[in-house]
Amino acid sequence: MTELERALVGLGAQLDLPETPDVTAAVLRRIPEAPARRRFPARRALVLAFVVLAVAIGAVMAVPPARTAVLEFFGLQGATVRRVDTLPAVPRTSATVLELGKPVSSASLDPFLVPAALGPPDAVYRSSAIPGGKVSLVYRPGPDVPRSLYTGVGILVTEFRGDLDPEYIQKFVGSGTGVEQLDVDGSPALWIEGEPHLVLFLTPDGGRREDLIRLAGNTLLVQRGDILVRIEGEIDRDRAVAIAESLGPP
Amino acid sequence: MEDRPLEDDELVARAQRGDTRAFGTLVEEHQTIAFRTAYLLTGSAADAEDAVQDAFVKAYSALGRFRPGAPFRPWLLAIVANEARNRRRSAGRRERLALRAAEDPLSGGAVPSPEAALLDAERREELLRAVDDLREDDRMAIGCRYFLGLSEEETAAALGWRRGTVKSRTSRALDRLRDRLGVTA
Repeated sequence: MTELERALVGLGAQLDLPETPDVTAAVLRRIPEAPARRRFPARRALVLAFVVLAVAIGAVMAVPPARTAVLEFFGLQGATVRRVDTLPAVPRTSATVLELGKPVSSASLDPFLVPAALGPPDAVYRSSAIPGGKVSLVYRPGPDVPRSLYTGVGILVTEFRGDLDPEYIQKFVGSGTGVEQLDVDGSPALWIEGEPHLVLFLTPDGGRREDLIRLAGNTLLVQRGDILVRIEGEIDRDRAVAIAESLGPP
Repeated sequence: MEDRPLEDDELVARAQRGDTRAFGTLVEEHQTIAFRTAYLLTGSAADAEDAVQDAFVKAYSALGRFRPGAPFRPWLLAIVANEARNRRRSAGRRERLALRAAEDPLSGGAVPSPEAALLDAERREELLRAVDDLREDDRMAIGCRYFLGLSEEETAAALGWRRGTVKSRTSRALDRLRDRLGVTA
């Protein structure tokens, strides 16, 4: 420590800070009897997905057996992908709502990354619904990027701190969807292609659900250090990997 | 985490099994640093208290998804900071935290760490003014790292920055303070 740093520590100890209120009793009054447990999160989430979707489309759906077997499991920090034997039939219209947060200028993106290969995003959104926040970069459809049936935009890039919320994204894929484990510039990645798959974004505060469940098209998940990056669009694997390789500080 | 890894780990594991008393102990042990972080971010004791209370309630709900073996404090501080920033935004206020040195430095019962240099009143005011004049990012970096004593990892979690960013902004802030104070060290 330099002399200046020691002086700052000394100043910190001499600051006139308000006394810390004891919130223990208030917190304990407010917490439920049992917290969200780690056991069977996938099954519970999937059942929840069915319920919410059924309500959302105002129709009674033929709910597949809740004990849908998990046939394969892929995990990154921040996202998991499970292959299940029965994926529910989700109407494509359920994908038209994207909860991205508030629009912001791209100047405030740190610590998140921007793919240079796509040029500046057409819109940037930031949400503070999860620890560390989440940003979404939106790219309009163009000559080489068709409009996605699932997002309504060209390419959607979503990023968050995977280390702070290790299972924020949960995906379920059926037999018609391929999952490939890749290495993108030394970062672990998963490429999901083929039949649309089910994606769930979970919030850290247990029971409160403000995020959505929807179908998703081709998607690349990349774990870049603490950041989990999700790139979705009607693009092929090589294009998605090239976009991921161009990720860098804003 | 460096100071008592086993205890936090054990308390978190118990709280994950539904032991609310274990969670109460976590609240007791971490509420001071949580409150000071929220206060640094909001500049209001009332907002900071609300933010801390809500953050602990949310942290409890989120425990099921806490990565076992990970340090608890950065994870908690990220949730606290999120709540604090939301409050500041929703209140529509952008006021700067007015830092004041205590009249009698040791009246608060604070025990300065061995690394702390006790400053005379004149030097204290000069340093405080220099910190106050820094741009927001720099003040936050100095506040977290030196005033609150957060680690780089904890500062990154509290401010939503990357660790490398914490390092570079802290060193930039120190350079600016040196320029302002005419210190060569």
